[in-house]
Amino acid sequence: MSTIVRPDSLGGALAALAEGARPRAGGVEQAAPGAVVDLTGVADLRGIGPNADGTVRIGAMTTVAALAGLDSHPALALTAGALGTPQIRGTATVGGNLLQRTRCAYLRSPVFSCARSGGMGCPSREGDHLHGVVFDSGVCAAPHPSSLAVALLAHDARVEVVGPSGARTLPIADLYDAVDPVRDHRLSPDEILVAVTLPAGIPGDRVAHRRAAGRSRAEWPLVEAVVRLSPNPDGTVERAAVAVGAVARVPLRLPEVETALVGAVPGAPPGPEVDAALAEVVARCSPLPGSRYKVELVRATLTDVIGRALSP
Amino acid sequence: MDAHVNGHPTPVPDSTTATAAAHLRDGLGLTGTKIACGTGVCGACTVLVDGSPTVSCLLPADRLAGRTVTTVEGLGGDHPVQRAFAAHDGLQCGFCTPGFVVEASVFVDTWRAEHGDTRPDRETIADALAGHLCRCGAYEGIAAAVAAACAGEFDTEPEEAPPRLDALDKVTGRARYSADLAPPGSWEGVIVRSTLPHARVRSVRAADGRTPLVELLPPDRTVRYVGQPIAAVAAPTPEAARTAAATVAVDYDPLPAVVGFDAARSPDAPLVHPTKADRAAAPAYGEAPTPPLPWTGNVRGPGVLSWRGPTAVARLRSASAAGDPLLVAEEYTTATHLHSPLEPHVCVAHWHEDGLRLFVSTQSVSKLADQVASRWDLDRDRVHVVTEHVGGGFGAKNGISSDIRAAVELSRVAGAPVRVSFTRAEELTDAGNRPGTRTRVALLADRDGDLAAMSVDSHGDGGVSVGSSTATLAFLMYGRAPRRVRDFDVVTHRPPGLPMRGPGGPPMAWALEQAVDEMARRLGEDPLSLRLRWDGNVKRRALYERAARTDLWRDRPRGPRTGRFRRGVGVAAANWLYLYGPRARVELVVENGALVARAATQDLGTGIRAVLADTITDRLGLPGGGVRVEIGRSSSVHGTGSYGSRTTASMGPAAADAADRLRSALRDRDPRVPERGPIDEHVLKEALAAAEGLSVVGGRVRDRWGPLIPAMADDLAIGRGMSGAVHVMEVEVDTLLGRVRATRCWAGIAAGRIYSERQARNQCEGAVVQGVGQALFEERRHDPNTGAVLTDDLEDYRIPGLGDVPETEVYFHREGFEHVPGGGVGLGEVSVVGVAAAVGNAVFDATGWRPRDLPLRPDRLIEGIR
Repeated sequence: MSTIVRPDSLGGALAALAEGARPRAGGVEQAAPGAVVDLTGVADLRGIGPNADGTVRIGAMTTVAALAGLDSHPALALTAGALGTPQIRGTATVGGNLLQRTRCAYLRSPVFSCARSGGMGCPSREGDHLHGVVFDSGVCAAPHPSSLAVALLAHDARVEVVGPSGARTLPIADLYDAVDPVRDHRLSPDEILVAVTLPAGIPGDRVAHRRAAGRSRAEWPLVEAVVRLSPNPDGTVERAAVAVGAVARVPLRLPEVETALVGAVPGAPPGPEVDAALAEVVARCSPLPGSRYKVELVRATLTDVIGRALSP
Repeated sequence: MDAHVNGHPTPVPDSTTATAAAHLRDGLGLTGTKIACGTGVCGACTVLVDGSPTVSCLLPADRLAGRTVTTVEGLGGDHPVQRAFAAHDGLQCGFCTPGFVVEASVFVDTWRAEHGDTRPDRETIADALAGHLCRCGAYEGIAAAVAAACAGEFDTEPEEAPPRLDALDKVTGRARYSADLAPPGSWEGVIVRSTLPHARVRSVRAADGRTPLVELLPPDRTVRYVGQPIAAVAAPTPEAARTAAATVAVDYDPLPAVVGFDAARSPDAPLVHPTKADRAAAPAYGEAPTPPLPWTGNVRGPGVLSWRGPTAVARLRSASAAGDPLLVAEEYTTATHLHSPLEPHVCVAHWHEDGLRLFVSTQSVSKLADQVASRWDLDRDRVHVVTEHVGGGFGAKNGISSDIRAAVELSRVAGAPVRVSFTRAEELTDAGNRPGTRTRVALLADRDGDLAAMSVDSHGDGGVSVGSSTATLAFLMYGRAPRRVRDFDVVTHRPPGLPMRGPGGPPMAWALEQAVDEMARRLGEDPLSLRLRWDGNVKRRALYERAARTDLWRDRPRGPRTGRFRRGVGVAAANWLYLYGPRARVELVVENGALVARAATQDLGTGIRAVLADTITDRLGLPGGGVRVEIGRSSSVHGTGSYGSRTTASMGPAAADAADRLRSALRDRDPRVPERGPIDEHVLKEALAAAEGLSVVGGRVRDRWGPLIPAMADDLAIGRGMSGAVHVMEVEVDTLLGRVRATRCWAGIAAGRIYSERQARNQCEGAVVQGVGQALFEERRHDPNTGAVLTDDLEDYRIPGLGDVPETEVYFHREGFEHVPGGGVGLGEVSVVGVAAAVGNAVFDATGWRPRDLPLRPDRLIEGIR
């Protein structure tokens, strides 16, 4: 008989996980059979709070809609506001979004098995992978679906995790594993993602976000990009963060593009070094036959966000 | 802890698998909340939880504890946005409407609190309603309704009744769809489907050996595509039925399969239909009976139509050899397009002492009862088919589909009513489709720029089914120049097609209308003026002239476009056959001193209830509301099926005839009833009171000169004259990201007199929405190795939202069908045929790149433009 446990503390939640219950946050992903630990009542998972040092802690049960109103971190807010539908944004949580299951029609289908579902290989690789990766890291060909992860990566966020052996924090990049094809993330089943911590927002940051997709709204992106440019006092770019999603098993930062953007002048078109960096990114791509178009789309999407972030 | 649902405390189930939507519907009987996609994408299940719009199909039921829930029923019916949806006709089939109005009620209230009684712009409304999809495409009315409600225009009940007779039922959630009508104690049935593309099924059994199970295999026990029904099981609850289905053991003998279009044509390909009998039994997706044609391996055809065909072919060959620049020879393809009505296929079957009762979502109540009676060997009057409201169909809900077979058989075995309802995955896999096509078109112009020869060769990609008619439809366009058109079918181990709104039409126009545009370019001629020269059709010529005077066409950009965003305008023409049902009947009965109209027809969302009511009241000169309409029951007099654009053209004249007969019968009793003209209200009241129980039946009066082709099978005749359409489409192409946005559209439709202005416009606006969906987004994708459908939810099979569709103006040319009683014919299909082609021509105009393949995905744009 399946049951629902509703703990009001992290300790209670961890105890339920230890007994094999599955965590439930927003409930957007439909429940698998079995016992459930509903995280709604756990106080430590809630709330958005600026800390004394200017960093911002976002409880894992914070909704995507709440993030969309986060004025201190506009790159994250823009990304959150473009995700899914208004109803989904009102329900889906930060934690659930970061730890969501890979979206792949083959994985969903009862007709196929693959490395992720206990079988071998990847039928999408041999079959249809129009939405597949363009930075191939082997076996699974489905890109990571989390938009928030892309924006959080561009913000150098850290995630706070608790488990039976205590709490730890790790950079958001370390939440994911590009090589291991079987896992959606690196948490173990008895751990809980408690919160995300953002470094202090930098006033004057120039940011842009884009989902390249066919429809205007409510669509999974073919390529997603976030750019965040922090200015020097003279307005030129001091530091840049550029991240792309829907292209690899994990969200990616693009260091060559970031380096090229340092010193860029807002209001002026990006210089040739940016084009050269984009060409380097393109050269690094390793598309599958059906996702080859994404190489150009990566360049185009980055061109779009960089152009808008630098626009007067 | 209880939930407060619409003001009442109610217990909440403590289940890990129950969704709030299922609990509201099945547990509390609040069936206004609809389940359409099951994945939180379409918004039909939206309810307010503590005031926030929430998709209840994803929300775990136990999450309702301690919350305040408002469903569409809880809105009452007095919210301004509900009145606005009804008045602006922001709905067709109405299945998505409860979700839309629940969401919109919050948006409108919030907007007015923040901005006062002002009108939000369309983008703002599109943002707010981004979590809602309307497959009928009633977005023009929806946007207008939301804006008007925000502006405070519907704070009081409007004086005028809404254009749609069932609008108030649909905006309040009162309208009952077939899944809502399952009697208490109904069991649930679930279909077990093939996981192999080709296999002989040795045995099927339920894991426990006791669960009611019926086989759904063809006589040869062979499955020919992944997703083909094998059996169905039933259990008292949906969850138990799903569990039972998951444990059914199927023992297969796998057979070699072929799923690729090209692979199927290779000489050593496994044969999908190896024997003559198999070929004759191949499912058909044409609207008309499929004629016998020769087969070569997996290719059927050609079906040829020829008018001086050898001349056409000789001219084209010599032009090709000579490199004639006025020869346009090109190949175009279209993807498999899915009907995807938001209400899935559903049937509740109940064997009963009066026979067999079916609550079913069908486009043909009367014909279905005939078919069921024949298949299960029952007297026709012991079959009771009921379809109160149909949540869209577009051609997919016509005949005995597998939900009906399963429900009827399981109900007999289980000894209880059984409901079988497709999941969205089933709906998108095995509920029919508009097959993909590959079409080669060749046009040759002579020195005067006249059409000298045409040939069209088209291959339909209909999986195991046949019946492509793409080329055949091209035969009927552009005068009488020499021509040869040939239709082929390529069969594969993939799911079968069904007729879909204008079968063959959009693929035909996609190829032909772009080729005509290319010819205009080579001739250096305006595309409208070329069509005006080539096209002899009087009605369409009137539309070309009108189109040329629209701002959209006159002010279109000229010359090469530069920059990232490029605007373009394109045009496409279309025609369609005028079909009607000669056996259509409408009964008028005097009951309790009032008039009731009855017929075994159904409302697919097109608004036939209002057409019948308005026709009768106009004819008798009665005030609106003077007649009650009851349709959707097979026990009524025969009504026509709603396919082939014929409901209005068949039922409208029958209603008028019934009104005339009623007048005459009343006049026999009361001479104060005038022979013609309005009947005085007081006289009518007395005449009706004296005629209690009177019943007259009107029929479909013949057209002047009769039909072109009289009664083919199935209550179907082809009338004289064709309907026509001209679409002018504006797009904006983002050349960087490869995205096309359809921004404005002018839809000129020639279907004679319009019976119901607002509803007709709505249908034509919806056709633009579906055509834009086909042009830009919609594509059923399958695994190239097994043929398994991959786009089996509404996240991956992408239909347009409000933000994706052009602002559309509909113009009606109302002449040309004076020989038809009522003066008008159907427009459901002609209004969709040319839309995607107009998008294609607009993209070419904007970019100079000619798209060949549908849909116009970003990857194709990027590759094409660079």
